[in-house]
Amino acid sequence: MDELELLKKDWQNRDAELPKLSYNEIYKMILKKSSSIVKWIFFISVIEFVLWSSIDIIVRLSGQYDELEILGLEGFSIITTILSYGILIYFIVRFYINYKNIQTTDSASVLMKNILNTRKTVKQYVWINIGFLALTTLIVILYMAFYTDAYTNQSTDQNIPIYLIIITSILVLGIFIGMLALLYRLVYGMLTRRLKKNYQELKKLEV
Amino acid sequence: MKKELEHSFVTNLEQNQNIVHKVCRIYTNDPESHNDLFQEITIQLWKAYPKFRGESKFSTWMYRVSLNTAITLYRKSKRSIKTSDFDAMDFKITAEEYDDGVEQQLKLMYAAVKQLNDIEKALVFLYLEDKSYKEIAETMGISEVNARVKMNRVKTKLKKILNP
Repeated sequence: MDELELLKKDWQNRDAELPKLSYNEIYKMILKKSSSIVKWIFFISVIEFVLWSSIDIIVRLSGQYDELEILGLEGFSIITTILSYGILIYFIVRFYINYKNIQTTDSASVLMKNILNTRKTVKQYVWINIGFLALTTLIVILYMAFYTDAYTNQSTDQNIPIYLIIITSILVLGIFIGMLALLYRLVYGMLTRRLKKNYQELKKLEV
Repeated sequence: MKKELEHSFVTNLEQNQNIVHKVCRIYTNDPESHNDLFQEITIQLWKAYPKFRGESKFSTWMYRVSLNTAITLYRKSKRSIKTSDFDAMDFKITAEEYDDGVEQQLKLMYAAVKQLNDIEKALVFLYLEDKSYKEIAETMGISEVNARVKMNRVKTKLKKILNP
């Protein structure tokens, strides 16, 4: 293509027009803070870890766990605690390893892949955590409905059948998760849309 | 120790700053964004510098970090791209240097390059910098065959933009 060759020649002759920064100007620049997407991803990820893992603490402080003990679910409560902290630690370690792998000296595709992987780890943590919370809530509701008289006692006066309680709980959980999914799509979309697009563009044709 | 590292880095960058300016020129459309991107690239270069072992030339290493910053790390400002911006920035060619026909053609070419996506711009940039397909492939992290195919597609796309 002749035009591109022409452009190349012109491009290489334009160096004199480029701005020229002095030693001091460049020195001042290295003292400033970065505002790169990686930094944003790091902060948002840390906030997410703190937020989602603190749900457990909030539930504990609000006395919900005491109720479980009254119901005879101490064993269940211990298992879920160990599991939820296990999940948290596992994902924090994975996040840290992925984050450390982000190097600007890698090729463009490796760099993009590492950033996307870091983000994916947090996303997986959040979904597994939500799934875990939903599952334990459901188990407790079902347990209360079938093995204790917690609901039957209350509902006799008002005549609310058990299945209605269960269906309502599932619906509420479903709506809650659906709304979270929507929120997440928006937040993630904003954070990684351009990155994903570029990565796909780069990997096109690649076998 | 830190002072020494700072000094050698700033000296190296001062000597090779054209590479960064050229990346900024491809990816931004106004002086403010140009400076903003230059600043971010400088920080990223500085952050990576302690690991720079001199296995490759400083300039080769710079191409990689600069392009990575422009394509992946830099958060574009929300300024809209106005054609008048790059008209003013890029084309200060005087009448004596080029005849009208060539000047017009170059103007259109630069404008066409600005319409490409981030990856295509990177390919064109490396091509304009006279890099081999091997180097282009290594910088982008794709195969050499893919780099050639992509470059051909970019050429076709540029043709289409120029002759719709």
